[in-house]
Amino acid sequence: MSQADLSVPFRQRAGSAMKDAFLQEALTIATTKFIGLRREAFGDFPEGEKLRDVAREIKEATLQHLDRYLEQLIDNVERLGGKVHFASTAAEARGVILEIGRRAGARMAVKSKSMATEEIHLNEALEQAGITPVETDLGEYIIQLAHERPSHIIAPAIHKTKGQVADLFAKELRRTVAADPEVLTKIARGELREKFLQADLGITGANFAIADTGTIVLVTNEGNGRMVTSLPRVHVAVMGVEKVVPSMTDLMVFLAILAKSATGQKLSVYTTFVQGPRRAGELEGPEELHLVLLDNGRINQLAGPLREALYCLRCGACLNVCPVYRQIGGHAYGHTYPGPIGILLTAMLSGPASVKELAHASSLCGACAEACPVRIDIPRMLIELRREVDETKIAPRTERAVFKAFGRLLTRPVLYRLAARIARLLQRPFVRDGAIRSLPLFFGDWTRTRDLPAVAPRTFHERWKELAREAPP
Amino acid sequence: MTTREEFMARIRAEMGKTRGLFPATPATRPEYPREEAEAIRAQLAERWPEALERFRREFEKVGGVFHRVPTLTEVPQVVTGIARAREARRLVSWHPSQLGADLGQALAARGLTPLPMPPGEATNPTERARLRQLAASAELGLTGVDLAIAETGTLVLRSGAGRPRSTSLLPAYHIAVFDRTALVESLAQVGVFLELWHADGATEDRGAVISFITGPSRTADIELTLTRGVHGPKEVHVIFVEREIRG
Amino acid sequence: MTAPRVALMVTCLGDVFFPEVGVSIVRLLRRLGATVEFPPGQTCCGLPLFNSGYHTEARAVAARTVALFRDADNVVVPSGSCAWMVKHEYPGLMQDPALKKDALRLAGRTYELSQFLVKVLGRRGFRATVGGRVTYHDSCHLLRGLHEAESPREILRNLEGVEFVELPGADECCGFGGSFAVRLPEVSSQILAKKLENVEATGAACLVACDAGCLMQMGGGLRRRRSRVRAVHLAELLDGGGA
Repeated sequence: MSQADLSVPFRQRAGSAMKDAFLQEALTIATTKFIGLRREAFGDFPEGEKLRDVAREIKEATLQHLDRYLEQLIDNVERLGGKVHFASTAAEARGVILEIGRRAGARMAVKSKSMATEEIHLNEALEQAGITPVETDLGEYIIQLAHERPSHIIAPAIHKTKGQVADLFAKELRRTVAADPEVLTKIARGELREKFLQADLGITGANFAIADTGTIVLVTNEGNGRMVTSLPRVHVAVMGVEKVVPSMTDLMVFLAILAKSATGQKLSVYTTFVQGPRRAGELEGPEELHLVLLDNGRINQLAGPLREALYCLRCGACLNVCPVYRQIGGHAYGHTYPGPIGILLTAMLSGPASVKELAHASSLCGACAEACPVRIDIPRMLIELRREVDETKIAPRTERAVFKAFGRLLTRPVLYRLAARIARLLQRPFVRDGAIRSLPLFFGDWTRTRDLPAVAPRTFHERWKELAREAPP
Repeated sequence: MTTREEFMARIRAEMGKTRGLFPATPATRPEYPREEAEAIRAQLAERWPEALERFRREFEKVGGVFHRVPTLTEVPQVVTGIARAREARRLVSWHPSQLGADLGQALAARGLTPLPMPPGEATNPTERARLRQLAASAELGLTGVDLAIAETGTLVLRSGAGRPRSTSLLPAYHIAVFDRTALVESLAQVGVFLELWHADGATEDRGAVISFITGPSRTADIELTLTRGVHGPKEVHVIFVEREIRG
Repeated sequence: MTAPRVALMVTCLGDVFFPEVGVSIVRLLRRLGATVEFPPGQTCCGLPLFNSGYHTEARAVAARTVALFRDADNVVVPSGSCAWMVKHEYPGLMQDPALKKDALRLAGRTYELSQFLVKVLGRRGFRATVGGRVTYHDSCHLLRGLHEAESPREILRNLEGVEFVELPGADECCGFGGSFAVRLPEVSSQILAKKLENVEATGAACLVACDAGCLMQMGGGLRRRRSRVRAVHLAELLDGGGA
């Protein structure tokens, strides 16, 4: 797996990403385009702002009665002939799915794009169990062939050039074709069409599940979601518990804002409502439908500091506007979910210690919260994580000592003013023309690319006495 | 293995520790979906030309091709026109009982090859496999439409007996036929119909899938270049029939 | 109308690095008829501690500041981020009920400079201290925290003697982010580089902002690339004036 090596510090991972010229160009083009498309979509949709508030409220209301809605969902899925499974951990989810595959005698599984199955690292487990997983979303297919992981929630292969894709197809599929997206897409269509028709198992995530009707809702642009839920004999949907919504009416609110936030489309091409396995009279459809409800750290956050992250629709809008994501892309984060929301989801899945560096991978500029269709206050939770990292003493000792000393300085004005004077003395050898161009130690992290203003010859405190005298009587 | 009881107990335990972030209620559902749906139909009986125009605009924006004919009789002509220009012949279709008309003969007479599909399920697995291969070999798929959403240019199709899911999915060219009774204006209105379809006492007479289709299958996964027909159809056509199909 | 009483919260960066900004504000407010006070013993609003997760320490700093400004009618802050800290985070940080009440009162009386000029004093017409073209960078906390995009622009559009042009991507972060700028200096610097390219493309002589943090970042970057663009605080551009 070419997933970033977590033994390398995040700062270095980010640095390598910034040295990748193609990645840099791809990121700029992709994120700029997504930002523009999103802005246009909401610009043409005056009721959008109101609907975002409504959507946010529905998410919160659902969590407040999560038990009731899940019970309803489970009952309805079972009434329609589906089977519901419960997985507390990623390992348990993998176990459940492998067991379903084994019972079905499955040898191949076609998958439509699902972050939940990425999260539980399902593909490796399927492979080991002798079930070949085939990603069918074009971007996912490409990165699966390349043995990589998605770098964006909705555009998993934005870090690849068409040339790289052509080389990949030549090597892995033995098909040598022009580096033309149209041609490459056609090759993939042919390859994957065969797999859809052969596979025994169809595996999906779920964008939503409707409690009231037992409906699993999948949103795709390519149509692979429809293939995967119609052609194989068995359909398995894996879904985080927070994806349940009460009713069809609620769902419409989310559909009205989801695609606009993700790609600027009014709706994605396909919204597929799956209500149980094939029914009497139907020519096609799976004989079995399984819904795997996934906890994996989510339930802990119902009353935890990351509760609001449970509202997330996985649209990717916060990635596109994040100044950090825009420089480093998804892989440097090193986990399944990249970007600002990804830091929170990583902490949810793997605990705060897993994000002690990532919690600081944000300038807290707030662009993520503004772009989020359900207005998740991501910066607030990042600060909360930083606090947890500090209070549970996960943060480095020296850092904690520095901040604590700084805190003491700020509550002792005499010391504080003295410190300014001392800094003024110490900086002398470095000041030229009112600014500092180079400093030793960690100060160099500032001055390598930026001048630092020198401590003023006289601070405002020192000037106040004469300023006070200037006052008109 | 976590049981339902254990899983739900964990959730209840955590829920008990908090009252949530702010007072919140879900969206207000239609109290009388049947009456509301009828009211929408009644409004659309007058406003349909505006809705149709908006539908056309949005449908074309997402890459759909819009056709309009006075009656069902002209549909085969349009279908063959589409087929000829694309050198396509093999056609699968919803069953006539679901389409509202039997166009097979007329299409065959114009040189197309309609592939016969059963009105319901095929119990024999070999037969099922044969039918699937047949559907997969078709170039054209002809369906009806349950709802056409003006706001987004979307077609809503319910699967069921005589309405195979694959007809609108496997062929490269999907052609959908509809009339004014399918038109709705907004997603909010669709919500009412979806509630109605699932209201207490509503018989589950349809298949297990509802599909919203908003234009041809697309991807932009390679260098953000928009490419059509990655898995589903690369073209979607609608034929609007002015005289009500079941009139 | 009686002369408004203003207490200046100069902020740590304003005190130590940009005292000229504070001086400009004092003189400007006096010309506009205000009485300006400077509560002694003020240090920092505590935002750097708060944002890094050191909330116990931030609380102690905030409690001091609340006490220092308890009797102020209006508190004017030259930085959107510090104003945001006082208005949004102080009340939640205070545990003592009396202090919480004071913090809430303070939050209601605290203004970023441009907001105070336009929304409280109703002044939008000023003469400029310099000529030429100016452009404006929205600081993140002012824009998305205090939802203020218009007040500074209103002043700049009406500013006699300069031409105001919009900065492409004005609402995008400059890459400062407090300790972020030194924790991830490479990322911070690359964000800055893109910002400064946009700035230079406007042909402006001055890049205006209402936040000392952004000015430190962008000013430092401009100086390093020997740009002819100067990063200035809004207050430094305003030379008293009219309506």
